Amino acid sequence: MGTSVYLFSGGQLRRKDNTLVFESPDGTKYLPVENIQEIYLFGEVDLTKSLLEFCSQKEILLHIFNSEYEYYMGTFYPREHLNAGHVTVKQVEYYLDPQRRLDLARRFVEGAARNMLQVLKYYRNRGKKVEGHLERIQELEGKIPETAEVPALMALEGNIREQYYRAFDAIVLQEDFQFDRRTRRPPENHLNTLISFGNSLLYSAVLRETYKTHLDPRIGYLHTSNYRRFSLNLDVAEIFKPILVDRLIFTVLGKKMITRRDFDAKLEGIYLKESGRKVFVSEWERRLGTTIRHRSIGREVSYRRLIRLELYKVEKHVVEGEEYRPFVAQW
Amino acid sequence: MFVILVYDVAQKRVAKVLKKCREYLTWVQNSVLEGEITKANLYRLKRELKQIIEEDEDSVIIYILRTTTYSERQIMGVEKGKFDQIL
Repeated sequence: MGTSVYLFSGGQLRRKDNTLVFESPDGTKYLPVENIQEIYLFGEVDLTKSLLEFCSQKEILLHIFNSEYEYYMGTFYPREHLNAGHVTVKQVEYYLDPQRRLDLARRFVEGAARNMLQVLKYYRNRGKKVEGHLERIQELEGKIPETAEVPALMALEGNIREQYYRAFDAIVLQEDFQFDRRTRRPPENHLNTLISFGNSLLYSAVLRETYKTHLDPRIGYLHTSNYRRFSLNLDVAEIFKPILVDRLIFTVLGKKMITRRDFDAKLEGIYLKESGRKVFVSEWERRLGTTIRHRSIGREVSYRRLIRLELYKVEKHVVEGEEYRPFVAQW
Repeated sequence: MFVILVYDVAQKRVAKVLKKCREYLTWVQNSVLEGEITKANLYRLKRELKQIIEEDEDSVIIYILRTTTYSERQIMGVEKGKFDQIL
């Protein structure tokens, strides 16, 4: 349990009466602190140190986004309460052994590729012209076991994703949202903006789920750990990008919930306006709460929970040596 | 689960009860709060409220709904408070 709160308007977030209160020009809103897991700060929000202390105590994550653009700036990650030294040691052990690191990294790429294929197959069955891309991804997928080093694997992953994103044009079929090529920091067209925004929401969602496990999010395998705050969440996010972010993009575009009017061109890049961000975020929340029937558990689990289960599998892989098999969507 | 909590307490304890409830639930109108809550948190809330209220004078009623699926919320007049995820 525990919900996420997204603050788009400007105001002051404070600790008051032992709970959280958000004071904005629209009025004062109390946020029930015991029920909140994370807060996304998009607007110009004033924070105080006592608020940070309080959030840390209540184990609430604060994800900070640049208020003008939707860059992910970072997360106020409260003091770890579940970290177990043993798990951290094991994580590092796997990181330092090149063979074991590569093996785990390959699994992430493998999972990501298979989910991408799953998305494309779905659209192929609905008569979209994605066959060519599908075949090329299958070809590239076959090369995953041949890669001898993590950077080569990263490059291969890049190629797979490139092919996959190219197929978007055949799925979206809207002139306003042509893929062209992947651009980041800043995204240079509308589709890229949606991809970037969706991915950053996913990264923080995985980070939040990591916080509930014993894992240390700083130690990733596909994404190098050094010089980066968090990288394990990036690894695990790879698997969920196709099923969560990309499908969401197809939904909001297909239903015309987000159109070209929801974007602004600034400096060099294209940015989502508040209207578009709000639509995207509320659809995102809805999707994370959606439940699916999990085959091996045999009951309904939400996508949010699915992310956590994935992290537990990673933990089992490093601690108990139980082979990690990435989640692959069946639909 | 989802709960609706209503209270009727002596005036000098109203503020205390309200503040405590706000840590867990969302204020909807005077003396009424509602929201999703876990079993454990409800237990904590009840225990904490017990220390505030005078049991022979005040009363707190909690309606518990396992899910809100089969319930309907109708509003007449103004909606005074509700929980918003997106602000």
